[in-house]
Amino acid sequence: MSHQTVFDPRGRVDAVRRPLARRAATLAGLRLGVLDNTKWNANRLLRKTAALLEAEHGIAAVSYYRKQSFSKPADPALIAEIAGANDIVLTAIGD
Amino acid sequence: MAEAVAAVTPADVAPFAADGNALRVPEGTDLVEWYFEQGWTDGLPVVPPTGERIAACIKALGGEPELLECRVPPRYGGLTREVLAINMVMAGCKPEYAPVVRAATLALTSPAFNLNGVQATTHMAAPLLVVNGPVARAIGMNGGVNAFGSGNRANATIGRAIRLVLLNVGGGTPGDLDKSTLGHPGKYTYCVAENEADSPLAPYHVEKGFTADDSTVFVIAAEPPHSVTNHVADDPEGILDSICSAMSTIAHNNAVSSGHCAVVLGPEHARTIAGKGWTRHDIRSYLHLNSGNLFRKLAFEHRYGKVYNRNLPRWYKRDLDARIPIVPSPDHIHLFVIGGTAGRFSAFIPGWGHMSSPVLRGIEGGGPSGPVCVDGTCYL
Repeated sequence: MSHQTVFDPRGRVDAVRRPLARRAATLAGLRLGVLDNTKWNANRLLRKTAALLEAEHGIAAVSYYRKQSFSKPADPALIAEIAGANDIVLTAIGD
Repeated sequence: MAEAVAAVTPADVAPFAADGNALRVPEGTDLVEWYFEQGWTDGLPVVPPTGERIAACIKALGGEPELLECRVPPRYGGLTREVLAINMVMAGCKPEYAPVVRAATLALTSPAFNLNGVQATTHMAAPLLVVNGPVARAIGMNGGVNAFGSGNRANATIGRAIRLVLLNVGGGTPGDLDKSTLGHPGKYTYCVAENEADSPLAPYHVEKGFTADDSTVFVIAAEPPHSVTNHVADDPEGILDSICSAMSTIAHNNAVSSGHCAVVLGPEHARTIAGKGWTRHDIRSYLHLNSGNLFRKLAFEHRYGKVYNRNLPRWYKRDLDARIPIVPSPDHIHLFVIGGTAGRFSAFIPGWGHMSSPVLRGIEGGGPSGPVCVDGTCYL
């Protein structure tokens, strides 16, 4: 059977798979980092959620961080700071 | 630094270096339908690419089909020259449009533009391209009558090639990675030239420090144009007050998220304004000073709770009677003269907000090299 040529317009994606962090078995005694993406209602949603986690699940400490812009990735230095100072992280859009 | 757009003839076309992008289907396959079935269109039929047409575009792009120009978010597909050429052909581009399309893709993927956000946002923003300089004339772009409308191949297919790249390489498929609630018609094509021939003002790119012989492409994440009619005023203030009226609503994204916007003067309005000696800087400053909203309107008088609005600059007063500018400075208003020579119309084009900064790029890759001050626009 004769053929004709067609062309894929998508370009190649070169991606590296990274494993997810292991899920924490219990929240008690863990340090919680909260990353606020600065969307309209993120602040309200995240602070209330963090307060509930602290009151009901024995979170040891809460640290609050803000992204520079809700539509851009967080600064790698900020991510490193959060990873170094916390055991778990909470973030949400809060549009 | 004038552009060199060489006509590409079949005799110039080097053998096509197909790589993994080339596939085979049975002879007789309806290719228009086949590309639809793959999901590789913008909803309109594409021109099925042939090796010869792709090779002509690759040559016009400078050869080297494997050269990676950029990665296009949010999918981060690799835009090689071959992939760009495939999308250009599918859009219906002539090879001589290649320098403009290439420069636009590089401008769009500059970090300042934040294409990842523009592609994925629920807002309706789409990249608007405005081309300046000799290249626009050389490839027959329309900056005149009905410039934002249909009917011109270069405008239509350059803008469409960009959209196909955003869809196919960037993965900005509606409902998947493009989450726009409404979209807008410019998501098919949104590309014009400035009407330098009929403009009484210095061209946009000259205001920004390029020379008139340079060619540039400007990209801004933008809402559709909002018409501004004024058939009454015979002075700059009256015409610009109408534009200020279009700017001064709380509905568009600049009002609540700051950032950059574009203003388009129709040639008749531009002549009236320039006839009184006003420069680009005068115009942008007037628009900035006389547009805006009271904070009480943006805060809805606090009736839904205390509003601060973190998307506006922190140096704005939040008093209820404070005036909140539409954009932070006159330099955040990008002014163009576009349109036909009959009709007293202009347009306001809101941007997406502070999340994306427009990018102006030399078609040949150079930066500003012209005089420091032109047309009184550089704070003389």
